[in-house]
Amino acid sequence: MVVGEISQERDLVIIGGGPGGYSAAVRAAQLGLSVTLIERDKLGGVCLNKGCIPSKVFTYAAKKKAEMSHLQQIGLPAVEGTFQLDQLIAYKSKVTEQLRKGVEALCKANKVEVIQGKAGFTAENKIGVEYGHQFDVYVFKQAIIASGSSPVLPGGITETGKRILLSHNIFSVEEMPTHLLVYGSSYISLEVASSFHALGAKVTVLWEGAADFSFDESVNKELARLFKKKKIKLIKQAAIQSAEETAAGVHVTLQAGGKEEVLEGSHLFVEGSRLPNTKELGIGRFAIEQTEKGFIRVNKDMQTSLPSVYAIGDVTEGPLLAVKAIKQGKAAAEAIAGERTEVDLTCIPTIVHTIPPIASVGLTEQEARERVGGVRTSKFNLGGNGYAAITGKRDGFVKVISDASTDLILGIHMIGEGAVELSSHFVQLLEMAAKEEDAKFPLYAHPSYNEGLLEAVEGLVGQAVHAVT
Amino acid sequence: MLEVKLHDIGEGMTEGEILHYLVKPGDEVKTDQPLVEVQTDKMVAELPSPAAGIVKEIIVEAGTTVQVGTTLLYIEAEGSAQAAPEQPKQPEEPSTAPVAEKQESRPFVSSFNRVLATPYTRKIARDHNIDIEQVLPSDPSGRVTEEDVYRFLEQKEAPAVAVAEKPAASTAPAASQPTEAPEEIPFRGLRRQIAKKMTKSLYTIPHVTHFDEVNMTNLMKLREELKGAGQSVSVTAFFVKALVIALKDFPIFNAELDEENEKILLKKNYNIGLAVDTEDGLIVAVVHDADKKSIKELHQDIKRLNEQARAGQLSSKDMKGSTFTISNVGPLGSTGATPIINYPETALIAFHKTKKVPIVNEQDEIVIGHMMNLSMSFDHRVADGGTAVAFTNRFAGLIEQPNTLMLEMI
Repeated sequence: MVVGEISQERDLVIIGGGPGGYSAAVRAAQLGLSVTLIERDKLGGVCLNKGCIPSKVFTYAAKKKAEMSHLQQIGLPAVEGTFQLDQLIAYKSKVTEQLRKGVEALCKANKVEVIQGKAGFTAENKIGVEYGHQFDVYVFKQAIIASGSSPVLPGGITETGKRILLSHNIFSVEEMPTHLLVYGSSYISLEVASSFHALGAKVTVLWEGAADFSFDESVNKELARLFKKKKIKLIKQAAIQSAEETAAGVHVTLQAGGKEEVLEGSHLFVEGSRLPNTKELGIGRFAIEQTEKGFIRVNKDMQTSLPSVYAIGDVTEGPLLAVKAIKQGKAAAEAIAGERTEVDLTCIPTIVHTIPPIASVGLTEQEARERVGGVRTSKFNLGGNGYAAITGKRDGFVKVISDASTDLILGIHMIGEGAVELSSHFVQLLEMAAKEEDAKFPLYAHPSYNEGLLEAVEGLVGQAVHAVT
Repeated sequence: MLEVKLHDIGEGMTEGEILHYLVKPGDEVKTDQPLVEVQTDKMVAELPSPAAGIVKEIIVEAGTTVQVGTTLLYIEAEGSAQAAPEQPKQPEEPSTAPVAEKQESRPFVSSFNRVLATPYTRKIARDHNIDIEQVLPSDPSGRVTEEDVYRFLEQKEAPAVAVAEKPAASTAPAASQPTEAPEEIPFRGLRRQIAKKMTKSLYTIPHVTHFDEVNMTNLMKLREELKGAGQSVSVTAFFVKALVIALKDFPIFNAELDEENEKILLKKNYNIGLAVDTEDGLIVAVVHDADKKSIKELHQDIKRLNEQARAGQLSSKDMKGSTFTISNVGPLGSTGATPIINYPETALIAFHKTKKVPIVNEQDEIVIGHMMNLSMSFDHRVADGGTAVAFTNRFAGLIEQPNTLMLEMI
C-alpha cells in the first residue's frame, strides 16, 4: 500500500524567522496575506539571539563602565566591587528573551502561523518541514527564503571551544578574559576589542591585512589614536597559522611580518567569515540562481530567478547586516502584495559601537576626491561642542564632505558620543539629496551633540562659530 | 597605497580601452598629472593622478578594454612612503588581502551611484513606472524634483495611455485600428550628456539672442580668387579669424562669470569652440589659441577637428578649454535660431545659410548680394544688448571687407 503524501496549501511561506523573515511576515500580514513562518531554532534569528542584540548588551555595559570615573567627577558615588560577567550574561538572556517574546507576540497578533522545524524545498512549489519524526509538506503560492548565514572559520583555526570563540558565542563566554586576542578587522571585531577592553581585559587585535581601518581617513586616524591611548595593541599583517586551547589559555602561532611568532592569551575571538544557509534548502535542483559561494541572486524586488520564490537578508549578496535584511524583508512582502518597491543600499549607514561609537554614511573624503572634481570637507571637533563638555565625552568629531560645484552633501562621518543616534540624520540628508543649505538652515537643539553636525556643515563654508580655523 | 580606478569621465560611459600609460612604475607623479589615456566610445580622455606620490604598479595592460570601476594602477601616496621599504619583497600579497577585506565589510561603497531625489519623489516615479534616472533634472546639480517627475509624466502621458489600452484592444481584436507601441530610444551616453549641459546652461544663464545679417559677397569673391590660386579656405576659418579680432575689441564676450566669487574673468586665451554635428549628437571641438594662427592654419585645424570629431577620435584636449563657441549651421540651411550658450562661456554665435538676395548697394542700385544671418546668444548678466550689437557690427565689418583681415595678419 502506498501512503500518499498529504500536503497543505499556503499563500506565503517564509523560511527563517530572523529580523528579515519576521519583518517580511508581519508586513505581508499587514497587507492582507496569509503567512506561514518556518523557524528551525528561535524566532529573532542570529541577530536577536546571538548577534546584534547580545553584542550591544556588551557594548552598552562597556560604555557604562567607561563612564564611571566621570560620574564620580559629578558627585555620584563610586560603585564598589568588580565587574560581574555572569550577571551581565544573565541580563543578556533576559533581554533577548523579552525581545523574542515580543516577536512571538507580534506574529500572533498579526495571525502569522509560526512552524518550528527545518525547511527544505521538495519541489518548485513545495516546502517540506522536518521536526523530530514529523515531516509536513506545504504547497505555496509564494515563498521567501530568509535562512540567514553561518560562521566559517578562517584558515589556521580548526576548532572552537571555551577559549576560541566566534561571534555567536563570545557573548556567552564563561569567564572574563584577562588577555583577549581579537582576530579580525570589521565592525564586530572592533566592538569586541573596545568593549572587552573597557570591561577590564587586556586586548590585542590581529589583522591579516596591512590596510588601515576601513572608514574615512580622519576617522581611521582618530580611532587609531584612541586605541593607542587605551593601549589596545594592533598587530597588522598577522596571519594565524594555528591556534590551540590550553588549560590556562590559548596558544597562537602566527606569521607576522614574514616571521613566525607565538602569542599567548586567555581567549581568542575569531571574526571569520559567513556563508549563506542555502545547502540544506535543497534549492540546487531548481532554477534558483546562486553565486559560487551559494548566495542567492535576486532582482530589485528580491525575486529569485524562480519567479514565485524571493530571497532576503544574509542568503543574498551584499552586506551581512540586519538593517539590510529588515528592509529587504518588507520590500519582498510588499512586492508579493503587488506594490512597487525598491531597496537601495547606497546610503546604508556603517555603525560601530566602539567607545566612542562610529557612524559613517556616503562617500569618504578619498572616495569623493576620486569621483568629483572639487570637494569641500569640514571637520568639527566635539571638543568645541557644549554638550560634550557637560558629559565629558569630548573625543571625536563630525566630518562632512560636499561637492564644491553643486553643494550636494556626499558623505558624513562621525566618531564620537551620539554618533549612532545622529546617523539617521546623516542618512536622511543623503537620501534627500541635501545640499549644504538644507543642513545649515534647520534649528538644532541646544545644547546637544546635534550641533556638532550643524557646525561641521557650517565649517564647509568657513562659518562654524565654535571652531577656530 | 592608492588605487587609481577607471571612473566615469562624464558621458555615462561603462567601459573604456586603455590606450597607453603616460607613466611607468617608479615614476614620481604630482596631483592631477595625467597618468593614462583612455578611449571611450566618444573620445580619448586622460585620467589624472588623485594624489602626489610614486607609481607602484600598473595592473591593467595597455590595449585592454575594462569596465568602469576597474583598478588600473597603484600609487604610493606621498608621506606613506616610509612603510614601503620594510616589505620590499611581496607588495602583492598584503595589498590584495586588505582590498578583499575592505570589500567584505563595505561592498556597497564601490557602487555609490546615488539617485539624486528624495525618497518621496522616487516613490512617485516608481508608482508611475518611470525610471527616475530618465527624468531630466531642472536643477543644475542633477537633483530631480517632484515637478520634474510630473513634467516627465505629462510628456509621456499620451503613449502611456496607449499602452494601458492595449489589453482592452486585444480582448476585442476586431475593434478599430490597433495602437502602435512607440519606438524606444535609450536616453543615455552623449545624448544624456548634451541634455544635462543644455539644461545647466539654460537654467543658469539668462539668455538673450540678437539677430543680424552679414553681406558675404566680398568674402565669396575672395574665396573664389584664392581657389583660383590653388588655395581652398573654408568660410569657417574666416569666421574664426574675424571673431578673434572682434573679441579682442570686446573682451567681455571672451569671458566667464564666476558668480560665487563675484568676478568676471576675461580670458586671455582665444580658444574657439566649434559645434560639430556627429551621428551620435552634438560635440564641441576646440581650436586652441586661434589668435596666434593664420587663416590657413585655422583652416587646417578646423578640417582636422571636424574629421576627428565625426570619427570619434578627438582627444580630451581637443574637447575642452573653449572660451567662445560658434555653430556654423549654414551648410545645413536655416535662417535663424536661439542657440544655447556653451556654459560657462558668455556668448555663442550661430551662422545660417548664405543666400543670394537682391540688395541695395551704396549707389542705390539693386544688385545680387550674398547675405547671411547670424544669431548671437549672450549672457545678459555679463553684457548688454548695445555691446552685443557693437560686437557683431565689428565682426560683420571684417567679413564684409575681408581685405581688412590682412591688417591683422600674424
